[in-house]
Amino acid sequence: MAYFEFQNAVKLLCGELAIERIANELQHLNAARPLVLSDAVLAKIGTMAQVTSAMEAEGVPAAAVFTDIPVDSSLAVVNHIAAFYREQGCDSLVAIGGGSVIDTAKGVRLVLSQHTDDIFSISGLENVARGTHIPFVVVPTTAGTGSECTGVAVIKNDENGVKMEFLSPFVEPDVAVIDPRMTEGLPAKATASTGMDALCHAVEACTCLQANPLSTAYGTAAIKLIAGNLETATTHGKNRTARFNMAVASTMAGIAFSNSMVGAVHAIGHALGGVCHVPHAVAMTILLPHVMRYNLSRSAGEYAALLPWLVGADAAMATPADKRAEAAIAAIEDLGRRLNAACGLPLSLSAAGVSKDDFPKVAEFAVNDGALIVNPRAATEQQVLEILNAAF
Amino acid sequence: MKRFFQKLTVGIVLRVVHAALVELQRQDARVAAEFARMPEGLSYSIHTGHNAPVLHVIWQGGKLRRVRHLAKASCTLHIKSAALAFRLFTGQMGLAQAYAAHAFTMAGEVADVMRLARLVNIVEAYLFPNIINRRIMTDIPKPQVCFLRTYGRIAWGFLTCKYRFSR
Repeated sequence: MAYFEFQNAVKLLCGELAIERIANELQHLNAARPLVLSDAVLAKIGTMAQVTSAMEAEGVPAAAVFTDIPVDSSLAVVNHIAAFYREQGCDSLVAIGGGSVIDTAKGVRLVLSQHTDDIFSISGLENVARGTHIPFVVVPTTAGTGSECTGVAVIKNDENGVKMEFLSPFVEPDVAVIDPRMTEGLPAKATASTGMDALCHAVEACTCLQANPLSTAYGTAAIKLIAGNLETATTHGKNRTARFNMAVASTMAGIAFSNSMVGAVHAIGHALGGVCHVPHAVAMTILLPHVMRYNLSRSAGEYAALLPWLVGADAAMATPADKRAEAAIAAIEDLGRRLNAACGLPLSLSAAGVSKDDFPKVAEFAVNDGALIVNPRAATEQQVLEILNAAF
Repeated sequence: MKRFFQKLTVGIVLRVVHAALVELQRQDARVAAEFARMPEGLSYSIHTGHNAPVLHVIWQGGKLRRVRHLAKASCTLHIKSAALAFRLFTGQMGLAQAYAAHAFTMAGEVADVMRLARLVNIVEAYLFPNIINRRIMTDIPKPQVCFLRTYGRIAWGFLTCKYRFSR
């Protein structure tokens, strides 16, 4: 590659007692009235309260709380929250949740900083200048999306069901808080699928057209952590070391793909989410090996280079050089099978409840997704249909 | 002088790309299918740098019309410099490579850029020899008619002022 860009301006607070430091960070960002964004489940099980209590104890209580964020958030939800923020006289955002909550918060920040009422009016790629600074802290509660460190927000347009991408360096949070307590309560199946989502981010970041030396360094390090910790985090959810390593891996994979983009797995996965409501992480789990096989003719070298990070240097060296790319795909399939045995993680689109009748619509949406442009191999609607049929 | 030459070249290639799209709508089934699915009124503005040529086109009444001005296009691409635009429009860099290299910004919906990318890839498959296409595309769309026929129609179109501004 003749040219690349790399940005990560997010301050990371990682490890023990991390959430207890949020108030201090908000004060340093000149914020006193944060709007806390989360979802109904996290409010119910007390995860959100852990964070808001810690903030209050250190002198920065939530000025307002909004927990009505759905799994697939929409442009309308973003606009509604931005109006709520203004009504409540808030001066900062704290997002506590998974990808949907964090991406919604990013959208809200974009709307507020650009002084608009409708996020649709500023949709695009790197098209907005830095606006008003809205202090923004993110507390991920899954180890998968990596959204706490990415310059992209994916938000659904309810009018046509399309998941839209908003790419801007100005959606990156000021602070991301990686506290292993935040993911301890995550059920085994969600742990497995979100972990596979992180693996997918890392693999695509290392192999797409926009891959660069820095993003590959983050991506390969993330793959090593995931390969070594995902099964333990799934089967022994209270293992804080495994949880923490997965959270760090997810963040590193996020930094990687924020700077190199993703590929066809995400393009098709976004379409499956928009059309069939397949959870993003489940779609990534199912599609990753099938898309890798589709890309194999163009990316054998890149996939082979991932093998040591997936299975260790000794096992990789024992594999003949011309078999390493295939072995990397097989290693990911094996991991998926073991997770399926451990927690019932779906490994096919039929197991995820997808109907073949939806495939043409999914293919149409997928070829219009921006992630496809940097996939190492171009794909037509017909080729996407072939991938979907293989994954069924 | 160099920048003037680059801008002049880009201006000419933009005109040729528009002309090729108009001709390929009738010659290539994939281009025709792409246009058939295009919503009425969809418009693109392509800016190629500071004080550099701009192409404004709008899909209207079954035709891709070139217009002098668009107040706000559905999709506006700003290529970050005339030098980058020169590379992009002279077969030194493909659209996917330009995207990967952050060579342009875009206001509008990503889906509309993807439509344009598919169309431009087909146009390049006709306009550039394969030795260039292999360098700038991951997969080269196979031309459905002889490229000489496309070039011939474009030349005739320019001679007959077929691609002049619509308004």
